[in-house]
Amino acid sequence: MRAGRWATAALALLLLCGSAARADVQVVQMWTLVSGGDGARLRALVDGFNASQGEVRVESTTLKWGEPFYTKLITATVAGAGPDLATIHLSRLPNLAGGGVLRPVTDAELAAAGLRGADFLPRQWARSQYAGRAYAVPLDMHPLVLYYNKDLAGQAGLLDASGRLKTITGMPAMTEALRAVKEKTGKAGLAMEAAQSTYAIWRLWLSLLAQQGLPVVANGQFAYGAAGETTLAAIAHWFQAGYATAGQDYPASTSQFMAGNAGFMINGVWEVPELVRGTKAGTIRFRYGIAPLPQLYGNASTWADSHGFAIPANEGRPMTPEKTRAVLKFIAYVSTHSFGWAEGGHIPAYRPVAESAAARALMPNAEYAAAAASVVYDPPGWYMGAAGPLEAIASKFLPAPLAGQLTPADALRRFESEAQRLLKKRPPRY
Amino acid sequence: MRGRRAETLSATLLLLPFMAAFILFFLLPALQTLYLSLTESSLTRTSEFVGLANYATLIQDPSFWSSLGNTFYFSLLTVIPLTALGLVMALLVDHFAARHAGASAWLQGAFFLPYVLPISVMTLIADWMLQPSSGIVNHLLGMQRAWFSDVRWAMPVVAIATIWWTVGFNMLMFIAGLRNIPREQYEAAALDGARGFAVFRHITWPALMPVTITALVLQLIASLKVFGQTYIMTTGGPFNTTRVTLHYMYETAFTQSDAGYAAAVAMAFMFIVVALGLLQALLLKKRK
Repeated sequence: MRAGRWATAALALLLLCGSAARADVQVVQMWTLVSGGDGARLRALVDGFNASQGEVRVESTTLKWGEPFYTKLITATVAGAGPDLATIHLSRLPNLAGGGVLRPVTDAELAAAGLRGADFLPRQWARSQYAGRAYAVPLDMHPLVLYYNKDLAGQAGLLDASGRLKTITGMPAMTEALRAVKEKTGKAGLAMEAAQSTYAIWRLWLSLLAQQGLPVVANGQFAYGAAGETTLAAIAHWFQAGYATAGQDYPASTSQFMAGNAGFMINGVWEVPELVRGTKAGTIRFRYGIAPLPQLYGNASTWADSHGFAIPANEGRPMTPEKTRAVLKFIAYVSTHSFGWAEGGHIPAYRPVAESAAARALMPNAEYAAAAASVVYDPPGWYMGAAGPLEAIASKFLPAPLAGQLTPADALRRFESEAQRLLKKRPPRY
Repeated sequence: MRGRRAETLSATLLLLPFMAAFILFFLLPALQTLYLSLTESSLTRTSEFVGLANYATLIQDPSFWSSLGNTFYFSLLTVIPLTALGLVMALLVDHFAARHAGASAWLQGAFFLPYVLPISVMTLIADWMLQPSSGIVNHLLGMQRAWFSDVRWAMPVVAIATIWWTVGFNMLMFIAGLRNIPREQYEAAALDGARGFAVFRHITWPALMPVTITALVLQLIASLKVFGQTYIMTTGGPFNTTRVTLHYMYETAFTQSDAGYAAAVAMAFMFIVVALGLLQALLLKKRK
């Protein structure tokens, strides 16, 4: 009884101390859409930041990736109920900044946190601007790359003397490489997500159109012409010929590669941590390599996107200067510590980290670093970007030819007929 | 006189909460939607009054018409099976009630149980059962079909899951209907020598007609309003073959933030549902 009373008193005292100490702590609510390996890395950065100082505490909430995340961010922030900070894709900036969902970040605010625009790689910094103002602080860049299983590719005669992938140039050479793996090893040539409503095909298709110098949309019209169909048909052929498995969703496609059952995988660099982890843990029993997406047409363009930090506008609830300082303090911490983020496969946007010797030597990132030179982002447009309105429509129709459910021409015709309305519509102001 | 006034007063008082809720949660939002459908609006901002422009677009919008077609297809697959199956289950439960009260209660519970599941749980169960490589359905059939990605099967599979999920409600309606049939009618029929199917044909079936009509009308309205099942199980795929009208409305409003157009879709759809409901009720009443 007595002991119980003492314990209660001690607990009350502790709680009092706790609340007194926390009275002047700025709590920053962050919403993020990165999960899986990326999510664990971001969590480590948040924990590191929280432990590094006592004035700001970041509370991170992970929400479902894609359309649900952006819908929630948009609706919450126009109602003034959004978070203090959000991770976004820079490809969505024209949509979010143009729609009034985000609040600009001024040079003075950046400077107070010890950041300058010139600290960031120019392309990513340029993608953070809208109408001449910065609406996000870039974190990284993540291009589409070509993963390969050295054991299977070796058996298929696709490696050079040093054990690296021989350069593949041109669509026929790529198809031939996939065929060689299939015929020599009996395993799939390529692992790529191809189920209904998946995004990989859209990203690859955009890359290959860019390799032919063709934009998807120009001047409010679809601009890829006949190449759209032939390119889609060339990719669909890999599946129809049995070099790749049709109908696989994302997890099935990555586990096909991770289990050593496919020679190649076309995916973003975000799968790098899983390969690194699996190799360390011994669950991945093959040697792997990563190369930039091959030049299958006129140039070596590769689709890429970037994550960035942005401050929601929260109408009717403008951010206090103290809160802004707290948010930027966290952004500055993550930027200067983004080597940890680079270990997740991403190419950091903060130059002092990106250009450091350590980052340049980081493996396997160094193998595909060349991809950064030829990345293409989604063209600006309110309907473009990750899980944006146009991508959402494309993700429904473009996978169908891979499974042989629609012809490439039919898939593109249906895609256009549904997307037409978006092109004509003026950008929404949320 | 005094009594009558008190009656009016208490009736009014009793009606008030319902009227308030009706006005607040149905009438006002409906009028707001009607107004919204005449504007060009994003999710929260009304930018411009455009008259009937959204409706003019709607008439020529293939996506709207295909979503409507999908909605009708789903209704075709569910309305009559749900009503008929509900009746069969009710007859079974009623049949056992006379002999084995325990078995009857057990059957009724088993038939009704899926109805209490939240939609997320129901869709998860269906998803597990229908997995291409690990699902029990494919295991039993000895195949590896990806049911939800299959153009021919996606909608029927959603319909079957829905029937399993909601048939319990119709069964309860029919059980209530069966218990309302006076026993004397059966006794009189038995005296006249009626047996088996003849009893059902001439007594049970006609007596259940009002319940059947109610069930059919309610079921049609419920099936036309389908959204959650297809949204979660197929996300409208493959390539929109299971995207129903409410799903299209959701996409228009939230993915494309075109609230004005979404409101026009909603109004047009409401008109169609009300018209069909009335037509069906009229036709069935006339036949009776």
